[in-house]
Amino acid sequence: MTGGMLNSVAELQAFVNDHERTHVVGRRSKTALHQVDPDTMLADMSGMRGITEYQPQEYTLTVRAGTRVSEIQAELRKEGQYLPFDPLLPNHASIGGTVACNLSGSRRHRYGGIRDFILGAQVVDGLGRAFRVGGKVVKNAAGFDLSKFLVGSMGKYAIMTDLTFKVFPDAPDYQGLRLQYETLDDALNAVFHCNRSAHELDVLDFAPCDRGWSLLAGLAGFQDTLPQRAKQFVATMRAESALLDATEAEDNASLRDPLGGLTDDFLAKVVISPRQIPSFDARVHEMQRRYSAGGNIAWLATHDIDALKKILEAEHLPGMVLRGAIDRPLIGKNIESPLAARVKRVLDPHNKLL
Amino acid sequence: MRHQIKSDDARAPEMAEAIEKCVHCGFCLAACPTYKLLGEEMDSPRGRIYLMKGVLEERIEAEEAQPFIDRCLGCMACVPACPSGVAYGDLLVSYRTLQEQSRHRPLVDGVARRLIIETLPYPQRFRLAMKGGKIGRMLQPFLPEAFASMLNMLPDKLPPPAPLPPMLPAHGERRGAVALLSGCVQQALAPQINQAAAEVLSANGLDVHIPAGQTCCGSILLHIGAEAEARQIARRNFPLLPDDIDAIITTAAGCGSGIKDYPLLFKGQTDLHTASAFSGKVMDFSAYLAQLGLRAPKGFAVERAVAYQDACHLLHAQGLQNEPRDLLNQVPNLRLVDIPDAGMCCGSAGTYNLDQPAIAEALGKQKVNAILAAGPDTVVSGNIGCITQLRKHLDLQRKNLPVLHIAELLRAAYQD
Amino acid sequence: MNRSFFEALQKIYPDNRLLTRDVELLPYESDALTAFQTKPGAVALPVSEDEIIDTVRLCHRMKVPFVARGSGTSLSGGSLPIADGLMIGLNRLNHIKKIDPEQRIAVVEPGVVNLHITEAVRQYGLYYAPDPSSQSVCTIGGNIAFNSGGAHCLKYGMTSNHVLGMKVVLADGTVTQFGSESIEGVGIGPDLVGLFVGSEGLFGIALEITLRLMPAPQLYRTVMAAYDNLGRAGDTVSMVVASGLLPGAMEIMDRLAIKAAEASVGAGYPLDAEALLIVELEGEALQVEAEFAELRGVIEESGAFEIHEANSEDERARIWKGRKGAFSAVGRLSPDYIVQDGVVPRSRLGEALVKIGEFKAKYQLDVANVFHAGDGNLHPLILYNGREPGALEKAEALAGEILAMCVDLGGSITGEHGIGMEKREYLPTMFSPVELEIMQDLRRAIDPEEIANRGKMFPGGEAPALQMHGMHPLERQGVISRE
Repeated sequence: MTGGMLNSVAELQAFVNDHERTHVVGRRSKTALHQVDPDTMLADMSGMRGITEYQPQEYTLTVRAGTRVSEIQAELRKEGQYLPFDPLLPNHASIGGTVACNLSGSRRHRYGGIRDFILGAQVVDGLGRAFRVGGKVVKNAAGFDLSKFLVGSMGKYAIMTDLTFKVFPDAPDYQGLRLQYETLDDALNAVFHCNRSAHELDVLDFAPCDRGWSLLAGLAGFQDTLPQRAKQFVATMRAESALLDATEAEDNASLRDPLGGLTDDFLAKVVISPRQIPSFDARVHEMQRRYSAGGNIAWLATHDIDALKKILEAEHLPGMVLRGAIDRPLIGKNIESPLAARVKRVLDPHNKLL
Repeated sequence: MRHQIKSDDARAPEMAEAIEKCVHCGFCLAACPTYKLLGEEMDSPRGRIYLMKGVLEERIEAEEAQPFIDRCLGCMACVPACPSGVAYGDLLVSYRTLQEQSRHRPLVDGVARRLIIETLPYPQRFRLAMKGGKIGRMLQPFLPEAFASMLNMLPDKLPPPAPLPPMLPAHGERRGAVALLSGCVQQALAPQINQAAAEVLSANGLDVHIPAGQTCCGSILLHIGAEAEARQIARRNFPLLPDDIDAIITTAAGCGSGIKDYPLLFKGQTDLHTASAFSGKVMDFSAYLAQLGLRAPKGFAVERAVAYQDACHLLHAQGLQNEPRDLLNQVPNLRLVDIPDAGMCCGSAGTYNLDQPAIAEALGKQKVNAILAAGPDTVVSGNIGCITQLRKHLDLQRKNLPVLHIAELLRAAYQD
Repeated sequence: MNRSFFEALQKIYPDNRLLTRDVELLPYESDALTAFQTKPGAVALPVSEDEIIDTVRLCHRMKVPFVARGSGTSLSGGSLPIADGLMIGLNRLNHIKKIDPEQRIAVVEPGVVNLHITEAVRQYGLYYAPDPSSQSVCTIGGNIAFNSGGAHCLKYGMTSNHVLGMKVVLADGTVTQFGSESIEGVGIGPDLVGLFVGSEGLFGIALEITLRLMPAPQLYRTVMAAYDNLGRAGDTVSMVVASGLLPGAMEIMDRLAIKAAEASVGAGYPLDAEALLIVELEGEALQVEAEFAELRGVIEESGAFEIHEANSEDERARIWKGRKGAFSAVGRLSPDYIVQDGVVPRSRLGEALVKIGEFKAKYQLDVANVFHAGDGNLHPLILYNGREPGALEKAEALAGEILAMCVDLGGSITGEHGIGMEKREYLPTMFSPVELEIMQDLRRAIDPEEIANRGKMFPGGEAPALQMHGMHPLERQGVISRE
């Protein structure tokens, strides 16, 4: 496997035109995604870095695809803003890779995922054409929205070179809570109750722990109202769910990191809905796992990827392996689609992008 | 909307103005009972306006459009729903009148229509016709649908004629004087309503004048586009009513809203001024009482759960939503229950029951189901048409719930 | 209309659901953009998914163009019929198939009216967030085609952000499903929901849609501030943004719009104001109260000559009713108008308004302004009298200048109404030839006969474009494929 470090759109166009097979890499934070044939050329985007346009007043940010996420976050923090979709691996991943793999962290619970905050992108497709998709303003309804299509597209349709996002002001203060439940059912019922309540939670994850199940809830807001809001929230949960006890989180950062403790060889993202969790969890109870965004994303770590594959197939759930040596990172339910195939025919008819 | 309507008819400018104001935004669709039921653009207010425009611009034949215009209940729910302020009611009345002048109705419909014109506005004739109705019912299987449904509407037996006194004096401290309109079919079908209204008004310190010899106010004729006949009959009431009264009270929603249109009906007539003055004094029973302030009723010994059914011609045409509810809320031991989708027409709509039996039927059923879902023990309305329609559909479902005019319930609240 | 096509249609639809007489077709010839009128060849009113699928397949086989229509409320002419084509009225597919309050989702048919969803889930403390002004009538199918927005989309996005999954029939009759009941939607693999939503009916028809519901805010705080000039209202929006607050909605109306809306609703708008700013905060009560205190401070410093807070839910409802009916209420001021829908970066709102003022003077036409100031989405309403010769052309020219200005300022020619019929000629001002070509190719890859909503979005005539790009003819027919 060989490749080239690309520094401009023109270089990337030439690269795609010059090679039969191109696979895009950013900062290679998701090792499972880059197991390609030896004759495939790696287009290394990690050199295309930096924020090209940031207008805090507009809530918009344009950034080159190879930029490390934490660099972007640092810039936004200076203006009291943040990326509400909460990129998953800020210290390692590039923003392009984060979007291409659609990896949001726990804070996506409050306002939405990457698709909800991407406004546009500059791309190079399989025919070496450079063009823009989407727009640069927070609201736009002109043309087909290919920028959303590219979220999760894994570089197979077009390679993003820069991206424009909607950003939001971040709340000044934060309060994390750890609520203890005996069983998964209890925790899940608590989540269902949260879903029907008017509490606006920034984070709502749950995971097994030595004492049963922990529900991890985050509240964002003003310092002077947070304690009162947290109290109200705990009081409702005490009344409406089988809460054992509740404690303030000792460390908000680790509370908001869904991957903490998922250390086994293979790491996977599974798209799930809360009602699918009981039957799924019964099959994966030996794996390290955490259910994020109110039980809509499952993060799993395991040493036995074949077992996970079989479980996902049986449960009709799509999964993506991020870490660990594997030929095909997409596992479980087949996500091929006639609509996606047609986009492929237009953007990459010669099947150059892998 | 842009239009190419020629202005050779006296009514054309008004119609053109209404059409011009319509921006085809579709906000009216949500409010329209026939659109909700039939789900076709032609059966929506916006669609009807477009059809009327098409006819006036001579793009389509009036005959073709007529079935869709006829299907309009005239419930006016689209009027408050319209942000652009299209005077749909005026447009409809003007259009119907214009078409009526040149319309060739099928024979039977024509006969039915003539029958309506000749009998409904006259309580005496109506009583007579009722006897014919009984005979007619035996012939029902042989008659066309329009007749059949009309005969179904008739009660088995009319209540005995109950003449009202010419004047009922105020009880207690006198707070004013009013006249009560009592000339329409309601007097033959349900004389107890005006009786109750008179008593409630009197109990509220009002002298109530009820001049003899009153006729229909003409609204029901206007509704079917018989403009000249409507004017003719309306005029008979003008000299009968005394001048020194604060208001002319009506207990029928359709009359109230119809009379409010007199200035349009009498436009260009020599007695426009008289008609307008008359029109200006007319007020619905509950609107007047709410404005005057109700004297505290005794209320009921046992709690009554009352559903108030909005008559379209009170709610949409006259904007009376809170007034009747305020009155009912002042009755001790009366609990108001809300009917879901309260603004939806019950399908009675003047002569609609007779003209469009299938739609009237569907709407009646829908309304009664909504009422039953609210779980009242009494239903109250401010309009005889609604009361008859609800009674019929409650009977069909074998529900014994009393359906009263608001005046009847208030009278009971003073008596208990 | 082609006889054999018509006979095939009769096999799908009973007579009463296949409209063919002139008098039945006439009311379908326009949507809410009456500047365009075309009578369809026939109107079909399906009541099931299968009927829609059969109809689309028939259209594809016989190459008859079709337009899907919900309530016909498009402001860009998006549901304008095609002459001799088929109109498919979806308003009878109006069932909410499933509500799962605990997962915060609803599954609906395309003809369900936007507001009916909120009405159906209110009992669970939830609501459906996108709120286009026509929400009491417009349907989800139409919202999907045009990615409809509304006053409250700064915080929670437009229709696309609330669709999790869908089943669709593509224009060539292929039935496919994507997305899920998970809040992540598609989640893994390209976001097909995001691609389909906003495709203006060119890709096919949505048959079943899974929607995300939101918890109804515990508290709304709504404030109106009156200004003696538009610029100051615009500056206030920037001040609110700079303060770090994230309001659910920020709306501005100018004098003419205030006047029309007030005449329509009686919302209590100050009639002597040159500009009215409405700001609404929503969310958890404690947090909203704290934010509102801050917002009040900002507004008090903003030079408003009158500040009024809504003191009841009823008052809040009236404020919004006036705002939402504002477009149509302009019908009271003028027999005809064009509603424009452009976007400029928020910080350039002031500049944009000055320019619009200049255009007004240049064309001697009145323009009423209503806009979603929070996201820079302008809705100038250009007033004209269609009976005056040349007036429409003048109004269109003015509208064109506004759109050009939006592009110049770095914005968009449409924020939420879509391109439709109205703006097809302006599409090239936003996209390069390559981008346009790719979009055309994409359309043809999905709809080789170009039958779905033919004539919309892309500049040019009604006929399918003849040029060919990239693909092998066999690929185009789906005989070979490369993936």
